[in-house]
Amino acid sequence: MDKVLKIDISAEKGVVELLKYLLQNDRVSGVFTLRKTGSDGSFDYALITEPGLLEDAIPLHPFMHVNAGKILSALPSMRKPVAAVIKPCELRSFVELVKRSQGALDDFLLISYTCGGSFPYKTTVKGQTDKLLPEFWKAVKSGLDSDSIRPTCRACEYFVPMNADITISLIGEKDLDSKCSIFLHSGKSESMVEGFKAEISKGELDLSRFDSLVKKRKEQKEKDFKELNIQDSGLDGMIDIFGKCIGCHGCSRICPICHCILCDFESCAYDYDTSMIENELLGRGGVRVPTDTILYQIGRLSHMSFSCTGCGLCTEVCPADIPVSTIFRKTGEKVAGLFDYVPGKDVDEEIPVTIFKEEELSELGND
Amino acid sequence: MKKSYTKGAKISNSKGSRKTILNFLKGLLKKGSLDAVLIPMRVPAGDSYAWVLIKDKKLLDDANPIAPIMPVQGANALSSCTKKGKGNLKIAALMRPCEIRAAIELSKLNQVNLESVTLISYDCPGALPMSDYLQDPGEGEKVFDSLLKKRDRDVESVKPVCGICDNFSILPASDLHFGLSADSRDNILLIPNSKKGTGLLNKMDIKPSEDISSWAKNIEELKKVQEKKRKERFEYVKDMVEGFDSLVKTFSACVGCHNCESVCPVCYCRQCYFESETAKPDIESILLKTKNRGSISLPADRIMFHVGRMVHMSLSCVSCGLCTDACPVSIPVAELFSYVGDRTQQTFEYRSGEEKGEPIPMKTYRKEETKGINELVKGAEG
Amino acid sequence: MSKEFMPKIISFLCKWCTYSGADLAGTNRMKYPPSILPLRVMCSSRVNPVFLIKSFLHGADGVLIGGCHPGDCHYQSGNYYTRRRFAILTTIFDSLGLESERLKLSWISAAEGTKFVRVSTEFNEKIKSMGENPAKKKIFL
Ligand code: SF4
Ligand code: SF4
Ligand code: SF4
Ligand code: SF4
Ligand code: SF4
Ligand code: SF4
Repeated sequence: MDKVLKIDISAEKGVVELLKYLLQNDRVSGVFTLRKTGSDGSFDYALITEPGLLEDAIPLHPFMHVNAGKILSALPSMRKPVAAVIKPCELRSFVELVKRSQGALDDFLLISYTCGGSFPYKTTVKGQTDKLLPEFWKAVKSGLDSDSIRPTCRACEYFVPMNADITISLIGEKDLDSKCSIFLHSGKSESMVEGFKAEISKGELDLSRFDSLVKKRKEQKEKDFKELNIQDSGLDGMIDIFGKCIGCHGCSRICPICHCILCDFESCAYDYDTSMIENELLGRGGVRVPTDTILYQIGRLSHMSFSCTGCGLCTEVCPADIPVSTIFRKTGEKVAGLFDYVPGKDVDEEIPVTIFKEEELSELGND
Repeated sequence: MKKSYTKGAKISNSKGSRKTILNFLKGLLKKGSLDAVLIPMRVPAGDSYAWVLIKDKKLLDDANPIAPIMPVQGANALSSCTKKGKGNLKIAALMRPCEIRAAIELSKLNQVNLESVTLISYDCPGALPMSDYLQDPGEGEKVFDSLLKKRDRDVESVKPVCGICDNFSILPASDLHFGLSADSRDNILLIPNSKKGTGLLNKMDIKPSEDISSWAKNIEELKKVQEKKRKERFEYVKDMVEGFDSLVKTFSACVGCHNCESVCPVCYCRQCYFESETAKPDIESILLKTKNRGSISLPADRIMFHVGRMVHMSLSCVSCGLCTDACPVSIPVAELFSYVGDRTQQTFEYRSGEEKGEPIPMKTYRKEETKGINELVKGAEG
Repeated sequence: MSKEFMPKIISFLCKWCTYSGADLAGTNRMKYPPSILPLRVMCSSRVNPVFLIKSFLHGADGVLIGGCHPGDCHYQSGNYYTRRRFAILTTIFDSLGLESERLKLSWISAAEGTKFVRVSTEFNEKIKSMGENPAKKKIFL
């Protein structure tokens, strides 16, 4: 059973109060959260150590410009843990990074929430975020999908956090504007929150009420996969989808799983001698340059697709409007499925390429 | 410095400028005067363009010498096939003037080898913003076709930097130039501008003997108009970059993806300094900053990246606009960099991509420095 | 095409097992298809999956990895990793609709010269029936 805290203020204010309490009482060294940076709707992720600055915190803002998992992995260990409010896919991404020795769970008090989704980049570009917020929150309260969230989110079935120390219940909470329900899942969170004024009870987040939403999201996902129709058109299909790729590699730089300082596909192994290009010309009559547009995509898939958390940022960042994340998620699910692996679920489970079982895949290699 | 262009050849434009250019190139491939052509080609899905090095002249039929968009900078394409050496093929690269200028900058940095490359330019009508085109490629083609037919420069539908481009025609570095905005639309001018260019015309038995001064005059006039537009626009851009607060505001939506750097032709570093271990803020500095200010914005050093990039490469910025095209949150990166680039280049009386041999200002010095620097030094001394 | 199609099969063979097996086939004057282009690697796990992708996209009609039988790896466990990587790569190929049948993994020991001949002949026949790798003529890769 979890410990449940209820306070009679809006969910977002409730979280901010909790963060303030943690910081003021020196339970944490700092707070990591989204915060407003101006009156024009601009915001950023910040590490805050001065309680007064929490006034600007907007921990539940439905926006993800970068994957917080990637930022947390670059943060130093502080004297005490940092309370971090992040989305479920960011948390799963962080867990994947922790498995790769790119961070430590102990450095943080991980706070997440049942996530209604985030807005596409385009919403901020067009300055529409504030206008769309009321509709978004209305949808969250009634446990439905908002019209404004990213297609990626509409196909995400992992909106209930895994591995969080604290979960804020948002989806389906009709009284979000006046009530905040906080679930403490770990001894760590219970001792840190000790003394925080709230109505305390025992209970558990009722997962069954998400059944229909999960089902809907899964159906949407399958529909998206099907519409891609990548598996039926072979190499030509790949060329059709990635033909417009400009090779910016923004998709890997923004990806939380792609943490390499220098991506293999930017290394000198892919600078070809002029004679190699000339050889290619002999066979094909013409070659696309720079080369390796498709190689990069398949290569990146082979490096990390099993860990893809479906955060959708690669699609957002792609200047060529390629549905990168749908492809990575679709393929990633298949690959992870080989090993019953769910990215970001269990921090003690190693990633599929660093371990093996002697008794597995026995159909391979025997002739 | 300024060169005047007086002689060229007129060829019939009855088939349209694209076909005419393709036929010329095909002729050269056939005669063996060229082995391959670097040229944009529409991708099979028909929704974008890519650079293709073509050897088989049949493939040229599908090429589009004047593509409506520039998803990848031609200089990057040229670099990827010549940076390891000149190779055995005689290549002609048909590129927009800003792409040729970027190639010249890269050749100064040993990232492009021009020895067996002939650079062919044309009067560039500008390019469409990639995002506009991607929304409806069919419509994009139509819009661009009508642009091609106009005599004046249309600034409505092209990229913002194209709208204020004052270097859209023949360059000192062009080997050969197609004058598209000729007096009469019935003709295209072929203007040789180097031994290589003259050689190719000779091979095709084309004599550059006609007077082209009226074309040249027209270009000069258009350039003046563009220069004025550029100045006016920069008055506005200035406020977006000058002062720390305006910089922060301008880049407030930046997600730190570094797409702007990775597509930039003159940011050629294999690993950008700002993505390296060295540039990562160390633990102490994060803690110290957080302590002093009560908070720190993460990922750290976003502004540092943009300003740092200006320091590294604004001297070579060719205002091609690729960075804006690649920015997922529509920050007008190219205009900002062009503005800063114009200023840094003026300081050194340098124009990026103009002269082949001229060293980039960072790699040289003069005992008697230019006026711009003297002023800067004086300013610094108070 | 009048000339019979002769595939190119890039073959990454582990030095300790399959490469020696191929050697044995050679010293015993057994015949294996000339389309097999052997590359010796110190262990099948030396084969970066990107090698396979690259071979495929650059036009190899087939790619073969040969390693020691599970449990026999000279480095104890290299081939178990190879097996996982191979499973991952073929799954990716299938998911993208690419011909994963052009990729093959086979365990052939140093003593199995006959097996090497059989496996390579069968694979060669299969690739022949599949025809040329379509990637060979693509421009927009
Ligand atoms: S591949 Fe794309 S969707 Fe998957 S984790 Fe990386 S950025 Fe997110
Ligand atoms: S694609 Fe591979 S090499 Fe590149 S950043 Fe991702 S994991 Fe690293
Ligand atoms: S972000 Fe898009 S354009 Fe850039 S490399 Fe990835 S898929 Fe290609
Ligand atoms: S900074 Fe932008 S406009 Fe300037 S050269 Fe680079 S990509 Fe082109
Ligand atoms: S910003 Fe500087 S270090 Fe980075 S790629 Fe450009 S020139 Fe190189
Ligand atoms: S492309 Fe745009 S969002 Fe990305 S780093 Fe550059 S300015 Fe920032």
